[in-house]
Amino acid sequence: MKIGFFVGCNTAFNRPDLEQAVRYALPALGVELDNLDGQSCCPSWGTLPSVDVAGWCAVGARNLALAEEKGLDIVTVCGSCYGSLAEAKYKLDHDPELKTRVNELLRNIGREYKGTSQVRLAHYYLDHELGPDRIREALKYKLDGFTIALQPGCHSLWPSKVYFDKEEDTFHPRVLKEMCEALGATVGYYTRLLDCCGMGAMRSADMEKSFHLVEKKLVSMKEEVNPDLLVTGCSSCLLQFDTAQKFLQKDKKIKFEIPVLHYMQLLALCLGADPEQVAGLAETNVRSFIDRVRKE
Amino acid sequence: MPRIGVYICHCGENIAGAVNVEEVRKYAEQLPEVAIARDYLFMCSDPGQELIKQDIRAGLVDRVVVAACTPRTHEPIFREAVAEAGLNKYLFEMANIRDQDSWAHWHDKEGATAKAKKLVASAVAKAAFLEPLEDRFVEVTPAALVVGGGVAGMFAALDLAGMGYQVYLVEKNPSIGGNMAKLDKTFPTNDCSACILTPVMVRVGTHPKIKLLTYSEVESVEGSFGNFKVKVRRKQTYIDWDKCTGCGDCVNACPARIPNEFNEGMDNRRAVYIEFPQAVPKKAVVDLEHCLNCGKRTIGTAPRIHSKTGKPILAPCERACKTGACDRSKAYDPEGEIIELAVGTIIVTTGYRVMDKAPFKEYSPQSPNVVTAMQLERILSATGPTAGHFERPSDKEKPKTIAFVSCVGSRDKRHHTYCSKVCCMYMLKEARLIKEKYPETDIYIFFIDVRTAGKDFEEYYNYCRNLGIKMLRGRVGGVDELPGDRLRVRAYDVDLGAPVELEADLVVLATAIEPAPGLAELGRKLGITCGSEGFLKEMHTKLYPVETPVRGVYIAGCAQGPKDIPEAVSQARAASSAAAVPLTFGKIVVEPLISEVNQRKCSGCGTCEKLCPYSAIKLVEDKGRLRSHIDEALCAGCGVCAAACPSGAITLHGFTNAQISAQIKALAS
Amino acid sequence: MSEMQAVTGVVNLSAGDPALAGEIRELGGAELLECIQCAKCAAACPMVLAGFSFFNKKVIHAILLGLREELLDDSSIWACQSCNRCTEVCPREVNPFEVVQAMRRVAIREFALPTLSVEGLKSLYDTGHAVYLAGAGNTRAKVGLPEKPPSTVASKKALQELQTIIRNSALADLGIIPMGETGVSETCEV
Repeated sequence: MKIGFFVGCNTAFNRPDLEQAVRYALPALGVELDNLDGQSCCPSWGTLPSVDVAGWCAVGARNLALAEEKGLDIVTVCGSCYGSLAEAKYKLDHDPELKTRVNELLRNIGREYKGTSQVRLAHYYLDHELGPDRIREALKYKLDGFTIALQPGCHSLWPSKVYFDKEEDTFHPRVLKEMCEALGATVGYYTRLLDCCGMGAMRSADMEKSFHLVEKKLVSMKEEVNPDLLVTGCSSCLLQFDTAQKFLQKDKKIKFEIPVLHYMQLLALCLGADPEQVAGLAETNVRSFIDRVRKE
Repeated sequence: MPRIGVYICHCGENIAGAVNVEEVRKYAEQLPEVAIARDYLFMCSDPGQELIKQDIRAGLVDRVVVAACTPRTHEPIFREAVAEAGLNKYLFEMANIRDQDSWAHWHDKEGATAKAKKLVASAVAKAAFLEPLEDRFVEVTPAALVVGGGVAGMFAALDLAGMGYQVYLVEKNPSIGGNMAKLDKTFPTNDCSACILTPVMVRVGTHPKIKLLTYSEVESVEGSFGNFKVKVRRKQTYIDWDKCTGCGDCVNACPARIPNEFNEGMDNRRAVYIEFPQAVPKKAVVDLEHCLNCGKRTIGTAPRIHSKTGKPILAPCERACKTGACDRSKAYDPEGEIIELAVGTIIVTTGYRVMDKAPFKEYSPQSPNVVTAMQLERILSATGPTAGHFERPSDKEKPKTIAFVSCVGSRDKRHHTYCSKVCCMYMLKEARLIKEKYPETDIYIFFIDVRTAGKDFEEYYNYCRNLGIKMLRGRVGGVDELPGDRLRVRAYDVDLGAPVELEADLVVLATAIEPAPGLAELGRKLGITCGSEGFLKEMHTKLYPVETPVRGVYIAGCAQGPKDIPEAVSQARAASSAAAVPLTFGKIVVEPLISEVNQRKCSGCGTCEKLCPYSAIKLVEDKGRLRSHIDEALCAGCGVCAAACPSGAITLHGFTNAQISAQIKALAS
Repeated sequence: MSEMQAVTGVVNLSAGDPALAGEIRELGGAELLECIQCAKCAAACPMVLAGFSFFNKKVIHAILLGLREELLDDSSIWACQSCNRCTEVCPREVNPFEVVQAMRRVAIREFALPTLSVEGLKSLYDTGHAVYLAGAGNTRAKVGLPEKPPSTVASKKALQELQTIIRNSALADLGIIPMGETGVSETCEV
């Protein structure tokens, strides 16, 4: 099994430990990674997608063409990349006129978008291709007795029509939950599960408002689940939850801290990866969580 | 040589606004065989018609072409005028220069004028070949069929039966009553639905002129206006209804449990069941699909004999039945029985169903405390799953806070784009019933637009506001499940300009009204069509609201579109009146625009017989050779046979080859 | 561009720009006219929960009224998370997210975009990444990765490909960022 790994800006530059986690976990489960050499930004929403549809789709199509040329699907751990690439693909596959225009732009660089590769989000890909049982069998460390709260991430769910892997019920998602349960953890439900974390454009536009959202979510999960760990399905959510808590503590908005990991980091840890390499850049105290897991 | 008169209508501004009428008139005047060309502001008005009549009487014209609006509404008027002046009424032709020209090309005046000339030239060319024809009359079977036994169907049946006609009322469920039988109370007067409906059901059930065919469906429809032959399948009840007294003993004995459709799936019924307490007829049926076949004995087989007593071992239902109506050893035909009916007219009143909550994932339909408004109706009803106690499904607790969500599946491009029309009022009604009985209940109605147009409806709405029912403008975006079976409703309150959240014990979804299942198929059997929204299409929204393009077939109630009870009943009574006209007249005029076979040209190949959609053509032996023969009473004048006949032996009167060729030539020149 | 502000005072409807709706439909908000202002999108929108003054429903309404100035004077649209929850729930299939994006496209054509967006575009052109941290090499090395990811920052040819695409896109006509043929700069940071 082989797949093209689309790293994405935030993962590559802000949280390379997440990149390392992917590079550890997928091969450990028998999935070979292709680097998709020469990949670029997806492009992110605030850039070309905010300028025009064709430019957005052309940059997305170039990234997709890199995978198509190798006959591979694309996997990413970032919800924004997942959304931007999948939406561009959906537009290209449903609008022949746009596809022609985009391929004219790609002809200048000797590439073509055909539409043969799918865009996948890591935990959906694992659920779909391997299933929870194969993961359960490969674990070195299990999370029995630990409680997890989830942050699936908006882009992992909506707009469902553009995605290849999708939840049956996008308002009551189950995949990330089942993938965490496969690690032995108990997953708690909290009523603001689907709320937005506030990362992304909103955080760039107004940090205070963005933190208002993340605070509401943190309080809801603390009160309703009181988890040992928060697990995200998206690298942007990871950044928000991992970095916002110290600000909220400083402002006395919250009096607790919930350690945060992306699912792929947690998976890599359970498969036996070096915590420094796959989770070493976390600002929240994931170290003590990891120590507890490895002690048990 | 024919002397054709051309009369061009301005239709006020409707035609003259886009077409240069004078230019068209001058053009028409110089067409071959045109004796005179005139124009007038409203050709269909009395003075307009008089222009035509005078010219005929004066001997100036013997063929008439009117260039105006649509023949659908106006052809009969002009034919009448022509006949009054002493001319055969089929020596008349119409050119539609409004619907097909001025309206369509409003912003292209030159093009519209040029097209009007073409259309007039074409009509003139045909007029030269028109032939006088005579109307025919067909006797009418003095009986009617009503399909669907809800409130609309019942009133249509009662009205026709009251006029003395034999009525067959076909209902697919075991009992008549329809959706109205499920309702607790009805707006705007809050009368108890059962109290006003049950007497009607009883009258229908006992009327000597109404033959009730419940648990039955229309299988096929043949024949035409005045003389329909309808096959109805009476589904197998597996109970001898002649013997069944409706006592319910078999029902109580049955061990099977199946979600009860009448209570919207909120409790269970048995495999042998009586649809609801006030059912008419009050008879049991066996739902064989869910029958447990007690003692491993399938229906239609003899019981085992007890080794000691020597007596047969009966199923619980059989044992309980005191009249012998329930006899499982009888060899029932699972296909039921086909009943053939002869009727003159047909009224379709198949009603509606409400949408299920399942598709609306954002509203957490998996929660038992998210219910449809119809489910709430059953909760409120004394014959419902809670025997009228106001309880929420999850824990039988009385809800303290209730949220109503409007437009669920209505005004929605993913489900139904139309407004379901009755939801605003039924939400208000349900809220009011609860609030009046339990004033401490907090009730919130989330709406997009409150639509309470109707007599006494706005007053009803204001009364509800005065009761303290809170109205919020803003479609609900999501419902989250909370601990304790509670629900969080999320909306954006447009008037506050703020997001709002409400913690509720019960969420009621006002799900859309949809056409009854199988409506399109029934429509196909009758030759009538459904609009894009799935309801049956009337002939003309304003003027012929209960007629359909198939003569003799009428529609009423929610089969035609969502409507409330007052409107459905009004429409049903309108339909029964329209359906009674031909029955009363006793015969119907059949236009002579039908096909005729030239026996000398016919080769007897049978192509036409196979193609005729009305089964009007038979091959008949004539002097040792087969010849096509057309039954004039059945021929609808569709022209399929004339177009297909390889020998050119069939003429469709009013659309002869010569007439059509002349029209095409005029259009192409 | 001014700070984000709500509409204040009287809105002069007569000054509405009737061309705005057409422009939005051209720029990706094709289903704009299907909106019946039911507010279901607003009920699903994180911008509403966070308290921004313009968001999906209100942007659509303002567009239909042609309130170009009011929309351009407010920076809320740049806070849209692209979460697409509105698109998922919209019963009219308006795709409200796409309308907000189209409004951004209108704004960009009038140079009404936040500095951060200009920087993001510049960074995308110069490095191939909207988010690029010049100093990330060390962190990457710390977790055992090569200093550069296998992207445009590691391949001049790949970056040139990307730049060729962008130079031929609508962005080039707008003159918002300089578009030279450069290598990976060391300056961008978001």
